[in-house]
Amino acid sequence: MTSPISSETAAGFPGRHLLVSLGRDPVSCIALATLSALFLGAVLAHWIAPYDPLAIDMMKVLKAPSLEHLFGTDGQGRDIFSRSLYGLRVTILLGFSAIFVGGTVGTVIGLVAGFYPKADTILMRLMDVILSFPAILFGLAIAAIIGSGTTAVIIALSVSTTPLVARIARGAALMALAHDYVSSGRAIGLNDWALLWRYVLPNCISTIVVFLTLRLGQAILLGASLSFLGLGTQPPAPELGTMAAQGIGFFFFAPHVTLIPSFVIFFLVLSMNILGDSLRDILDPRLRS
Amino acid sequence: MLRYAFQRLVLAVPVTLGVLVIGFTLLNLVPSDPATVRAGPAASAEVIAQIRTEMGLDRPLWEQFLRYVGNVLTGDLGTSLVNNMSVADELSRAFGATLELVVLCLVWALPTAILLGVLAASRRGTIWDRVIMGGSVAGVSLPVFLIGMILLWVFGYKLQLLPFTGRGGPLWTLDGFRHAVLPSVCLGLIFIGPVARMTRTSMLETLKADHVRTARAKGLSERVVTFRHGLRNALIPVTTLVGLQIGYLLGGAIVTETIFSWPGVGRLAVGAIVANDIPVAQGAIIALSLGFIAMNLIVDLLYAVLDPRVQAK
Repeated sequence: MTSPISSETAAGFPGRHLLVSLGRDPVSCIALATLSALFLGAVLAHWIAPYDPLAIDMMKVLKAPSLEHLFGTDGQGRDIFSRSLYGLRVTILLGFSAIFVGGTVGTVIGLVAGFYPKADTILMRLMDVILSFPAILFGLAIAAIIGSGTTAVIIALSVSTTPLVARIARGAALMALAHDYVSSGRAIGLNDWALLWRYVLPNCISTIVVFLTLRLGQAILLGASLSFLGLGTQPPAPELGTMAAQGIGFFFFAPHVTLIPSFVIFFLVLSMNILGDSLRDILDPRLRS
Repeated sequence: MLRYAFQRLVLAVPVTLGVLVIGFTLLNLVPSDPATVRAGPAASAEVIAQIRTEMGLDRPLWEQFLRYVGNVLTGDLGTSLVNNMSVADELSRAFGATLELVVLCLVWALPTAILLGVLAASRRGTIWDRVIMGGSVAGVSLPVFLIGMILLWVFGYKLQLLPFTGRGGPLWTLDGFRHAVLPSVCLGLIFIGPVARMTRTSMLETLKADHVRTARAKGLSERVVTFRHGLRNALIPVTTLVGLQIGYLLGGAIVTETIFSWPGVGRLAVGAIVANDIPVAQGAIIALSLGFIAMNLIVDLLYAVLDPRVQAK
């Protein structure tokens, strides 16, 4: 008997059943729409931003939101809406870069640890050591070494993501290795790397991707926190955490300067978390049943 | 139990050593020369060389590392490059403040999170469940600084109910407690979401178990079934999550301390990095990591108390 999911997949493109499942949940639909709008805003910032994000106008300092300036202006008269669009771009790039680098390195380490018992102890103890440094501490440490900036945040987030992914990948690899198809692959003479690449990785990848979608929101929050502390993207470059920090000096009489970029981060992460949860519910066979 | 505690303690040793290695490496990777920073911009090459010798920076790397580990074990973390004060003294003052904040946060946030999780699980599918779970997703999505600034604005500035800068004194004094309320609430709000969610999931699993059905069949009240037979077993995975969340809590503490000018280790670390005061930054980072390891050790021991099978293994 053909399952509804496989018939849907066969009928349309590979991710169709995902979209159909997401479409059934109104909260997921709203989250998807919000996330799409934010991504579009970030990608099209150059065309849709009404002002230059770096243009200073001392005659329009700390203006409240209005039709002229949708999100108001900051302490140097810069348009917060335009800066938020560009800032969103940097914030999203920070999160994705960290997830990509940490996810790739962590997956390789996890698969190798799962596949080679001799390497397992050393690699996983090393991962334990890295895990004993909370992510934000890595940010502080790396900022101390290479100086504050976007690169420091990406390295810190990547390093702190690596051991988490390695653990997940190792667990998934151990489960995959217990299956007969791995023994069959070995029996037909495949070498270790071919086994890992062709049989183990494809069976671990959905678990890893689901974890990474849930981690993405956390990475963005951590990146924004580091920027808020003054250790991330440096002004005048727009980044949402940095923008929020720049408004603190005027918080009691112009709270919008801090609150608006902070709420943009909140809506971005909230929609990512809701979609991550839905994705997990759809892809995890235990939850699906 | 003692044997289990000893085993966990032994396992923490290599991790602690790893933290020290990373801490030491940091000092050596920093591009600025500590001897030059300490000597000041006008110092001659001879003075810098003399300070370099005094600080042991001319010795081989392995010797420097052993000396560094020895110093850390005896509580000597060097002196600040900015104010020449002992790093250990600065840290001992700041560590107390951070610990106060984290403990106060756990005291109110942990029971609240568990109760919310139990409530959501026992009323699954109702409006209670939806509101609690919706709130917890929102909680994990909020930047700490947004929560802090809103609390500061509403309760500190507009309503003027509570002080919002600095530490008033020890926690057990009224002024000290009043100063700690807003930062600990800020920190607790990021902690409640994930713990409430995990409690709900774990409770739903446990409430389906045979022993819970038996307890109900015996005619025990729903409250006894939920709390004595359900919650105790459901707490095991929650304890694991609490251990993992402590790192996130420490990260949150660093931001919270900065917002509320709380004189803790996180604020000390950020200030030291901005001022290029590497010994203080290094000491603060190591102190926070060791605090993280110690709290995880406590969580491991709690785990054994809750689940006797762990000790048997």
